[in-house]
Amino acid sequence: MKIRARGTPAKIDTQMTPMIDVVFQLLIFFMLTLKIVEPEGDFNINMPIGKPQEAASTLPPIKIRLLADKSTGRLSQLLFDNRQLGNDDRAFNVLNREMQLMVGTPGSGVADELEVEIDADYDLHHEFLIKAVSAVTGELNPVTKQVVRFVEKIKFAPPRRPGGVEGT
Amino acid sequence: MRIKKAASNISEIDLTPLIDIVFQLIAFFMLISNFEQTQADERVKLARDPLAQPPKVARENDLVINAGYFRDDAGNIIPEKVTQEKGPFVFFLGEAVLVPQFARHLATEAKLQRDEGIEPADITVVIRADKEVPTGLVQELIKQSQEAGYAKFALSATQQIE
Repeated sequence: MKIRARGTPAKIDTQMTPMIDVVFQLLIFFMLTLKIVEPEGDFNINMPIGKPQEAASTLPPIKIRLLADKSTGRLSQLLFDNRQLGNDDRAFNVLNREMQLMVGTPGSGVADELEVEIDADYDLHHEFLIKAVSAVTGELNPVTKQVVRFVEKIKFAPPRRPGGVEGT
Repeated sequence: MRIKKAASNISEIDLTPLIDIVFQLIAFFMLISNFEQTQADERVKLARDPLAQPPKVARENDLVINAGYFRDDAGNIIPEKVTQEKGPFVFFLGEAVLVPQFARHLATEAKLQRDEGIEPADITVVIRADKEVPTGLVQELIKQSQEAGYAKFALSATQQIE
């Protein structure tokens, strides 16, 4: 039997053009579909169905009142247990400090018991509600950048509809 | 004079570095592309807050409600073209519905979820409300959701990175 001598295999030229075509198509697709979205987060709100929470907490809720400027919808006064704190960022900082004092050491168990009720004017812009929720929720540790939680249970008072009719 | 015969000199371009770079770019764009936030509506300008952080464990079931306004390029609120209503609207399934009329949509959504075997009480309603939406209307949305059977709520905000 005659055995053919095995020579070095012929070099196969890979056709790169179709691959590069597809790769460029992919690149263009991802470039065009790219949408730079800022990261979003959320705050949990404790609003279970059914009215007053039966024995949900042994402590009465801490009341926070947000008064709105009727014409602009901006915050006109922030009240913490009927104490006026102001209407600017400092007011929310004071509220945050008050909550910190009230909770004491985070994780001490007081935070689990405490409940905050936010009672806001109907026309108040939502951003102020978020600020108030944020101020009572906790604070950002400047070193670790982790959130230190103060209160988990946040609920809203019934809406104060224009005309004085309160929601149920 | 002796003239040298010009040899055919076809130089091959080395495509390897080009392909390397292109693959790097594709990997980059794939990683930063955000396919998750399909329910977010760009018309809603959320409030910003440093404490607004995404949940550590992704929610299995949620219902996202986008409440906001129509705005022009400068960000000013403009009325809806057909009805001339100023809003705020709930942007839901391609429609712009006024907040008081949204209750029936919620009821339908809850019924559909019950038909699929999911109890609305186990679903978190994520309210993505524009920063200028009146608080009262956000509370109305919560109330409508409660009436439809939903019990868990979350308010969205953009994470403010300092």
